[in-house]
Amino acid sequence: MKKLMLALALFVAALGAVSAQLPVNLYGRAAVGANGVVAAAKPEASQVGIDILKKGGNAVDAAVATGFALGVLEPNASGVGGGGFMIIKMKDMAEPVVIDFREMAPGKATPTMYLGADGKVIPNSTVEGGLAVGVPGEVKGLLYALEHYGSGKLSRADIIQPAIQWALQGIPVTVNLASIIKDNFGKLVKYENGAQIYLKDGLPYEVGEVIYNPDLAKTLAKIVKEGEDAIYKGEIAQAIVDEVQKRGGILTLEDLANYQVKIRKPVEGDYRGYKVYSVPPASSGGTHLIEILNILENFDVKKLGFQTPQAAHLWSEILKLTFADRSKYMGDTDFVKVPLAGLTSKAYAKEQAARIDMNASMTPPKAGDPFKYESGSTTHFSVMDKDGNMVAVTKTINYFFGSGVVIPGWGFIMNDEMDDFVATPGSVNSVEPGKRPLSSMSPTLVLDSKGRSFMTIGSPGATRIFPTVAQVISNVVDFGFPIQEAILAPRVYQAASGDLHLEGRYPVSALDGIKKLGHGVSIHADWDAYFGGVHAIVYDYDAGLLYGGADPRRDGQAKAF
Amino acid sequence: MKRSDILRIVVAALMAVYMPLSLVAFTLKAPIAAQPALLTSIGQSADVEMAKAIMSRAKLSFSMDSLVKAQALASTNAKTLVVVIGGSSKGLGAAGISADAELERAKALLAEAKKRGMKIIGLHIGGEARRGELSDRFIGAAVPLCDYFIVVEEGNADGLFTKLCGTKIPLDIVQKISQVSEPLAAAFAK
Repeated sequence: MKKLMLALALFVAALGAVSAQLPVNLYGRAAVGANGVVAAAKPEASQVGIDILKKGGNAVDAAVATGFALGVLEPNASGVGGGGFMIIKMKDMAEPVVIDFREMAPGKATPTMYLGADGKVIPNSTVEGGLAVGVPGEVKGLLYALEHYGSGKLSRADIIQPAIQWALQGIPVTVNLASIIKDNFGKLVKYENGAQIYLKDGLPYEVGEVIYNPDLAKTLAKIVKEGEDAIYKGEIAQAIVDEVQKRGGILTLEDLANYQVKIRKPVEGDYRGYKVYSVPPASSGGTHLIEILNILENFDVKKLGFQTPQAAHLWSEILKLTFADRSKYMGDTDFVKVPLAGLTSKAYAKEQAARIDMNASMTPPKAGDPFKYESGSTTHFSVMDKDGNMVAVTKTINYFFGSGVVIPGWGFIMNDEMDDFVATPGSVNSVEPGKRPLSSMSPTLVLDSKGRSFMTIGSPGATRIFPTVAQVISNVVDFGFPIQEAILAPRVYQAASGDLHLEGRYPVSALDGIKKLGHGVSIHADWDAYFGGVHAIVYDYDAGLLYGGADPRRDGQAKAF
Repeated sequence: MKRSDILRIVVAALMAVYMPLSLVAFTLKAPIAAQPALLTSIGQSADVEMAKAIMSRAKLSFSMDSLVKAQALASTNAKTLVVVIGGSSKGLGAAGISADAELERAKALLAEAKKRGMKIIGLHIGGEARRGELSDRFIGAAVPLCDYFIVVEEGNADGLFTKLCGTKIPLDIVQKISQVSEPLAAAFAK
């Protein structure tokens, strides 16, 4: 009888565990602590970061450990074969530093590499297979951060071992991951190396099952032993080149050996007394985030009301103006001149604000939006400790499951970041050898009016990233929302032209008013990952507590201690 | 009632819900379809690729054309049409077809298959992710024209397929995608 009771209890507990992972489960996403918080797209990854802080590691140690763990726990979104951006501000730093570990175009890349004999872009060539693969930067980026900004108290093994452990013990297939695998089945089934890991007997894993990846554990163990050389030189580098070229790519050993992390000065701005730091190109995100906030500052947002027709209209108009600028000016500053100072200036924002008619929707700017098809399949995580040391990291392999190319025997997925270039010649963002494709990633740090660490924030979501980050910052600064409420609030998105996109929970009462102002409206699901997945932390100095917020549009969950 | 009796009732109820499919009888008492089959998508989701894997595993003779048009049925030797229903904006975009055009293609295809006396087997295997405004348009148009339907339970949480199939269209509800293979194979004569 006791055995039966125990079996029944375990059965019910197992069902409960699966149910708790439902994407719309809003409970337990946030976390609060006095010593440190990590907010990531997987609870297990957040816990990895917290464990590092508890061991005496600093915020960078925790961020690097969380980053490696996410590559295992959320392999569809980022990992060894990808790249990203990290922004760090330790308490003793005058201003933050940006580590750009974005992928680069291979040395043999050309502006016409995706064009067929008919002069048209070969369908799918930028998103799947070897030709879509850029030179990965993640391992160099994370290890650079650890070496230069880590505490030095913990070894590389201490930092990476949790990720190895998860690769060996297996990652849980959540509702979210099961859905992503199903959605990308067509890609996964084409590449046998990936299919062996991410499909079960040729079909998608079901919710509650476990995916093991001992090959990835082997790769991570090699990184522990050899550092970045494990990936950029030697047998893994050779395996990468062989597999990418076998799948039609042009990556070489020289490309891997020559990859360099770029250390950049952040872009900065002020929003209603808060100092905002974010990433410069090769991401457009930080610059446009500041541009948006600067324009927004010209309006009494609070008076317009929360999610009223006028508020939606204002966001729509600001985003149209911003995306028009993005199309025209943005590219890798190592290759093209970008007017960063102008785009982030208050005077320019005032001019832009004056173009907005609060009674009518603006005629779409003439410029198209060649970047609108960017993938939203990225990840963001934030770390902050009691001393106000802050780290924000956004990283990606671009589309979910990247190029589909998985390195045999080593278990990691190669990115398809080349898709973030414009696939035809003549754009500031056209392909050039060694160039970094334009990104929207916007890991961001905010200081309060006293210059203290206040917020670390970011999101996946392609071109929705910086509009989403701006909205969450506004929710906190303008409306005083706690960070979790600010994250949960329904979001809007508007490109340079086309419909205003509203998340399904946007107040119905606002719809008529929005349409009357001349907007076409596209309504999305109630909780739609299209609008990103924000993971952020806010420091409440009065309470002496750090508040972590995480996004139910993903598997986000913050952890604290 | 004793505590042990309550426990037995609870266990029985849970087993009824989560009982392995192999213990469940399927609706069809005999095969209704002949091979070879033509597999197509209605809604252009990746689910058609899953169906392809399932049919290959079941060793069924079939060809696949996700965008096959009604006119093409005249030149095929297929005796059964297998339609995998589920809308995907990404899939429609990649295929270069609008939702409206896909719906028209599906209606014409199903009508032509009926006219030619082909059996139509419908599958909905994408669960909740393949429900909603876009998918439900395809579901509403296609399911009533099927001769047999298999749905993965999660997609039928609101009973839509049960309602659309009614008493006229045999319907099997399975819990997992991997369980589609058995009833699907059983629907075809060897």
